[in-house]
Amino acid sequence: MSAEGGRLGGGLRSAAAALRVSRFELKISAALVLAATVPFVAAIFVAGQVVEQTLSLGLDPRVVERLTAVPSLYGELFQARKQLYAQQTLEIARALPRDPARAPEALRAAMARTPRLRRAAWYAADGRLLADVERPPDTSEGEWRDAPARATLPGGGELDCTFEIEARFFAELDESRELAELVQGLDALRAEIRRTYVRSFAALVVGWAVVAAGLGIFLARRTTRRVSALVGAVRRLAGGDLDVQVEPGRANDEVAGLARAFNAMVREVRESRDRIVYLEKISGWQEVARRLAHEIKNPLTPLKLAFQQLDARWRASGARELDPAFGARLAEAGEVVRDEIGTLQRLVDEFSSFAKLPEVRPDPADLGEFVDDFLRTSPDVSDAADVDVVKASADTPVRLDRTLMRRVLANLCANAIDAARPARARIHVGVARSRERAVLTVADEGPGIDRATRERIFDPYYTTKKTGTGLGLAIVKKIVLQHGGEIQVGDRPGGGASFSIALPLRDGA
Amino acid sequence: MTPRRIALAALAVAAALAAAGRARAAPAPLPVQLALRDGRLRATVDVSAAFPTSLQRELGNGLTNVVAIYVAVVPARGGGPALIYGRVVEILFDVWEETYAVVVKDPHVPQGVRAVLPDFAALRRFLAQERDLDLGPAALVPPGGFVVEARVEVNPVSKEQLQRTREFIASPSGGARGAGSSRSVLGAMASFLLRAPPSDADVVLFRSRPYETAEVGR
Repeated sequence: MSAEGGRLGGGLRSAAAALRVSRFELKISAALVLAATVPFVAAIFVAGQVVEQTLSLGLDPRVVERLTAVPSLYGELFQARKQLYAQQTLEIARALPRDPARAPEALRAAMARTPRLRRAAWYAADGRLLADVERPPDTSEGEWRDAPARATLPGGGELDCTFEIEARFFAELDESRELAELVQGLDALRAEIRRTYVRSFAALVVGWAVVAAGLGIFLARRTTRRVSALVGAVRRLAGGDLDVQVEPGRANDEVAGLARAFNAMVREVRESRDRIVYLEKISGWQEVARRLAHEIKNPLTPLKLAFQQLDARWRASGARELDPAFGARLAEAGEVVRDEIGTLQRLVDEFSSFAKLPEVRPDPADLGEFVDDFLRTSPDVSDAADVDVVKASADTPVRLDRTLMRRVLANLCANAIDAARPARARIHVGVARSRERAVLTVADEGPGIDRATRERIFDPYYTTKKTGTGLGLAIVKKIVLQHGGEIQVGDRPGGGASFSIALPLRDGA
Repeated sequence: MTPRRIALAALAVAAALAAAGRARAAPAPLPVQLALRDGRLRATVDVSAAFPTSLQRELGNGLTNVVAIYVAVVPARGGGPALIYGRVVEILFDVWEETYAVVVKDPHVPQGVRAVLPDFAALRRFLAQERDLDLGPAALVPPGGFVVEARVEVNPVSKEQLQRTREFIASPSGGARGAGSSRSVLGAMASFLLRAPPSDADVVLFRSRPYETAEVGR
């Protein structure tokens, strides 16, 4: 199979893994769908009731009946007007003079006394127009529409009258008819409208429910994935992997809190394990140091005494004057032997000191005050170095064994002084406090410590000095660990090495 | 009439006939005169029984009334219509002029033909006598005999009425003065889904005597 095929297969497997739904996700999704569905069923029922009630209110049979009767009412109104106009036309016709010459005057008089009469025309029996009186339409009260009326005259001929009827009646009639037809249509489609509204509502609610469920599943998956990651991490931890950590994510919820707590717990377990391992290792080296000190120390005194006796015998003998060259050689050898025995003695002392490190007996103290006290009572430090002290926190309550912690501080300061040689050292001492710990920092401006050296710098007998035993920092670390603290080495900003000691704050501080 | 229209009309008539359970049947056989012209079967039917004088009040109410008339040739042994014709007549009584304005729409003149009738008697004659209806190609007349069926619906839900109702549902206050747009998703959806229900209009069914195919000269 080609590499491309392999990548495709891998992609498909990844996609399948992404789509795989865990049991936990399934339960949450089911709960969401259930939560969305139960109100939905009730909502559909209520929607049907609401639509039915609304239609019942809007389409009350009496309302429909009255509305559909409106055009007929207008028809009756028109009939009444037509009858009125016909009656008035008849009355005007009856009052016409016999002499057609007086007709215009008579028609004007009739027009004056007959409301809404706009035109009157008198035709003879042969169709001749005998008189025609008209007034301009009065638009002050709105638009008008012509309403003709005709009366046949007894002697032949006819009277044509044109009345006015309000044009708004026709507009209102059209509007009423449209409204009535609409209501009639709604009434005819009533059952279908109700069903359609319920269907539409159901479709919308289903749509919303699907979106809500999808969104819920999406959000639930984000949580369940994190929970699954936690479960996996716990399994790895149970398998002995103390480097496992979980990504808590950016969310600030319980799962993120759980992940952070898990990470902190794993860190603490790892630190405890490292502490135990280191202390066990140190204990082993202490035993070695004790035996070495014992084995070296025992022959040193006889060796020293034997040489002293040899030297005394030589001084007392007469051969001293006979062989002055041998005397000089013996004196030179004696000096070498004394120096080497002195070196071995110091080594034995350091080994013994390392082997007999006392148990830590901590007492309540303030780290800042302890530092001040140390510097005030350590002239060898203040003589050899300029010391800056920076206290970032007002109080740093801890529990410490003053004697042993003085040894720690003295050792670190001595290292800082050595690092600066031949120049005068500048030591930066800092005291600060975090949420759970007090931090003491001792930094110098020397050449610093490279990364490879940092890895082994706390190992016993590891030293970069020509005259060192490699026990000083091992002792420092052991004392710090026995205080329940940690020590780390790093770079000082601006150059130099920096040692940070973190001690647990005193309970209740 | 195009084949598509024939198919649609056939479906409409089939649906109408299927809903005939709520219809009332005219007692007498449908009077029919059949003629063959230019290879097409034409019919003149008398459906006056569907328009009693009592209908004057309903048709003269000043509202737009609709009368749908379907005429179909159906095999005598049963089955779906072989030939059909349908027309819709919109009737509006003008309460001022006191005349009946009618608009007749059929597949040949879908936009409609207008006419004004002076009174109900004229309207009744106009509706009752369906003359020279083009039923379709005579070649499609069923060979084993047939009957002519007519279906008259008074005030079914018309397409215009359905459309008007849809517009109203989509925008209930659209026509109201001063009302802003009240379109809603629910209303728009309901408007889209609204369909004409099975007809529950006043329906009268007519059925002619059986005809032999030879009677139409095929």
